[in-house]
Amino acid sequence: MTTPPAQGGYTCPYCRMASDGGGGTCPHCGAPVDVRLKVSDSGWIEQPPIRDMAHIRFGHSTCQVSGMYVPVAEMALHDQDWVYFSHHVLLHTDPNIRLGNLPLKGGWKRMRAGMPLIMMTAQGPGHIAFSADEPGETIAVPLAPGRAVDVAEHRFLVATGNVNYGWQNSNVWFTTQDGDDEEWHYPVGRTIDQFAATGGNGLLLLHAPGNTFVRDLQPRQRILVQPGGLIWKDTSVRMFLHFEYPHGQYWFSSARYQAKSTWLTLEGPGRIAVQSVYEKPEGSGHVRRTSGATTHQW
Amino acid sequence: MDRIECQWCKAQNEMGRTNCTTCGAPLDKKDLVTDSGWAEAPRLRDMTEFRFSSSTCQIEGEIVPVAEIALAQGDSVFFEHHVMLWKEPQVPMSALNTGGGMKRMLGGMPHILSVAHGPGRVAFSRDATGEVVVLPLHPSMELDVREHAFLAGTHSLDYSFVRIKGLANVLHGGSGMYMDRFVTHNEPGLLLLHGYGNVFQKTLQHGEKIMVEPGGFLYKDSSVNMNAVKQNVKTGLMGGHSMYLAEMTGPGRVGIQSMYVHHGSE
Repeated sequence: MTTPPAQGGYTCPYCRMASDGGGGTCPHCGAPVDVRLKVSDSGWIEQPPIRDMAHIRFGHSTCQVSGMYVPVAEMALHDQDWVYFSHHVLLHTDPNIRLGNLPLKGGWKRMRAGMPLIMMTAQGPGHIAFSADEPGETIAVPLAPGRAVDVAEHRFLVATGNVNYGWQNSNVWFTTQDGDDEEWHYPVGRTIDQFAATGGNGLLLLHAPGNTFVRDLQPRQRILVQPGGLIWKDTSVRMFLHFEYPHGQYWFSSARYQAKSTWLTLEGPGRIAVQSVYEKPEGSGHVRRTSGATTHQW
Repeated sequence: MDRIECQWCKAQNEMGRTNCTTCGAPLDKKDLVTDSGWAEAPRLRDMTEFRFSSSTCQIEGEIVPVAEIALAQGDSVFFEHHVMLWKEPQVPMSALNTGGGMKRMLGGMPHILSVAHGPGRVAFSRDATGEVVVLPLHPSMELDVREHAFLAGTHSLDYSFVRIKGLANVLHGGSGMYMDRFVTHNEPGLLLLHGYGNVFQKTLQHGEKIMVEPGGFLYKDSSVNMNAVKQNVKTGLMGGHSMYLAEMTGPGRVGIQSMYVHHGSE
């Protein structure tokens, strides 16, 4: 059980932030403090859903998460606090919330990657709420000053103003041959978002379809995950592709080109989070070039 | 005799009941209301049953709930034909001509609504994760509903559709050209909606405003004024796209759904 100790502080096993453990939920990430820590035999920790109407504190403001299928993150913004988000996740706002924009560099590349070209900002005081467009869980990732995480494309919901936002090419790709054409594939997306807290504790809210699982990888420890299943990882975690070709009894029943498995190798040290719903990897055909990948033929 | 008032539909229930007989909302659980005043639609317990006229409705399942209706003789419900999940063979069917054929075709709405008559059972569900919202309508009420969101309505409801006024509202409001309008006269009626994701309701005071993502709008009292308002935030290169929000002005109820396709990025 993760019940807080009788004396001293409580460290949330999901966000690793310290609090007094009172109130039934972690004030930093909203995870319940009175539930059993569920760890699979292989070491995956099941992230419990944020309880309906639970509060998360940040700056002088609060965030209340409501609903269970497609949760809504409703923020009561203090006039000294602001948040930024992609415009399509805004659900409702008080008329007095001041909306602005946060221009981003690399507009052409972002447009090609299907990423929003600007972020909107909202400055308190007032209430504003956000939700995603698919069933799943809202995940709160509190960031201590200096901590940074990489987040897969389209998982971002909203972040506090003191969290720096950046993005870079994911550098995880491969090409296949289709006739005379070479097709490019980006199993974790063309780009990856990066968030880093500066100045004080920051809060990052993500939305992931299905259920969420986290685990800590030791230095050089590796695990293979579905590329579309990655939600976020510590920046210290390295990632690259791995192709597997299952072996059949006869040459024609062996998977060579069409039925290969495309994996994302994650190598520690650091924490990773995956979601149980993911898109089927694309890219049948002979792999010609990669961004750097390992291969195994069974 | 002591009564319990349902916090969702305000119907009076006998002491000791755990679900409202009129809308099925749990009576033994407190309403969940966010700090800013949005009340979560009650999460109906699996197999919850409630009554309308001489018939009953049972809600089954939780992820994509099914509304199973046991129609009594003389009762009927109307619906869009594609939401009917199953029916008993002997349940008589008829059609309700909505009028305005060309307008409805332009609005992408069905010309004809199906009607199932009692006695017998018929069941309805929509096509995505969400909640069945049960809205008992007292006499002399008018409710406007986003098109394609209603699951079924009882025979005592008058159905019509209203054009969304203003070109900006049609083009940028995210709710299409028309809204379904349900009106009660002397009898109460029951309306079942399907909201995608989770559903929340807020009651606006006279003149009170709230800005809502147009795709999230689900229903409103007809007394609530809805207006698409352009936001001074450009979201595209060279100002190619702008953002609109639906400004809702009270008095009356507004219902929203948490899962939607943002109309600007469809």
